[in-house]
Amino acid sequence: MELLGRLNSPVMYLICGGIIAFVAVICVIFAVRAYKAGKAIGIDESKMKRVITASATFAVLPSIGILLGVIALSGSLGTPWPWLRLSVIGALHYETQVAEAAAEAVGIGGLSIAGMTPEAFVTIALLMSIGIMWGMVFVTVNGKAYSNKLTAPKNTDKKKKKGKIDLSGFGDTAMTAMFIGLVSAYIASYAASIISGNGSFTFTGSPLPLAVAVVSSAAMWVFIRIRETKGAEWLDSFSVAGSMLIAMISAIFFGKIM
Amino acid sequence: MSTEKERLQSETYAQYLEKTHRLGRIFTSAVLILLIGAPFLMGAYLGAMPNLSAAAKAFLGVGIVYLISCIVEYLIYLPMLGAGGSYLGFITGNLINMKIPCAMNARDIVGVKSGTPENEIVSTLSIATSSLVTILVLALGVVLMIPLQPFLQSEALQPAFENVVPALFGAMACKYYRTNRKVALIVLTFMILLYILVPSLLGSVSMMIIPSGALAIILSYLSFRKKEENTDV
Repeated sequence: MELLGRLNSPVMYLICGGIIAFVAVICVIFAVRAYKAGKAIGIDESKMKRVITASATFAVLPSIGILLGVIALSGSLGTPWPWLRLSVIGALHYETQVAEAAAEAVGIGGLSIAGMTPEAFVTIALLMSIGIMWGMVFVTVNGKAYSNKLTAPKNTDKKKKKGKIDLSGFGDTAMTAMFIGLVSAYIASYAASIISGNGSFTFTGSPLPLAVAVVSSAAMWVFIRIRETKGAEWLDSFSVAGSMLIAMISAIFFGKIM
Repeated sequence: MSTEKERLQSETYAQYLEKTHRLGRIFTSAVLILLIGAPFLMGAYLGAMPNLSAAAKAFLGVGIVYLISCIVEYLIYLPMLGAGGSYLGFITGNLINMKIPCAMNARDIVGVKSGTPENEIVSTLSIATSSLVTILVLALGVVLMIPLQPFLQSEALQPAFENVVPALFGAMACKYYRTNRKVALIVLTFMILLYILVPSLLGSVSMMIIPSGALAIILSYLSFRKKEENTDV
């Protein structure tokens, strides 16, 4: 608990807030330049204003969903670091998973403030930074060359249909499969630890993580059903964070009976 | 007259693009340095430095998955977002759950096509605006959270925070399993049996993503090939 206090100290807010402020300045610079260039090349100003208004309103709901993610991570990593990670570069599913893997590798068992040490925290933070930086690395190294190649966008759809449909089709399938494998490695560990968590076939492991995962999955299913049947696309922005929060609340009740 | 105007506009756009790449590279590099430097800076304050061998071990397990995911995202999203949108999008993240749908929505509203100068401008404006809104909403939320911190740190709430990861994977399981139930069921059963029979593997779940992911990809490939063959017949 003492460490959590330090993770939430003004110094931590200053470090993380400073980086967020820098990114905000970058966004303003890019927006102003784009607006001026749009005007210079003859794009209707009212169109650009509509883009700004539409994007601002579109972003409000998902941003609240992202805020729920900050709340979810704040109990184990403090508030400033998840605030930085989810304001800049990150996404909730990635951050939680990488933090868990790093916590495991650093020897504190899992992502929890109970076993957290300063060394574990900074290691987790470093892995979170390194793990998802590759998009930024690629766009810095290769972005110009790649976008120049794309300046002649003709017939890309036709090309796909004629020649490369098989590979691109499997690319999507492979990505989904990879995530199925990733999720299965964790869900299976919750189920198996009930049976062999404290030694082969001892049946003394905690069922709590599995119960929480089941509640989260059920909540997600309800979100998906509502979205599909009622056409509530906006629910997409809340479904993961909302399911997580419902499951986390259920953990408080399960914790008392298990 | 109109040709002269078009030539000038084309030159202006080319200069804009050139400078966008230059600024994009500078800013992206700066943010990269800040993000990698932050853990060390926080470490100096907390009195501990990152354990590099543990970070490398964890990266081999889970980081590789996201490295591949980042390559795919980069190749797919850059053509959608244009140059300025891509630099901003990769810096500010939340691509799938916000930036891409937001940019697509903005494009649809004003009716522009991929690869055009209009798309470049609209995407950049859209991503910059949505990023600023997220930054503002999160900053407000974090300020409001400060008085709530004693409550959030109370003992009663700890089971909730200790189960963030199972909560995440439960939600993700529902999302991904429904896309390929057969593969999910086989992989999940295989992994449960493996952990039960070799309990020591429960201590390194993040490394087990590799065999689990490989099995899922192999099974998906076999089912994909079967489908393709059936389509050909």
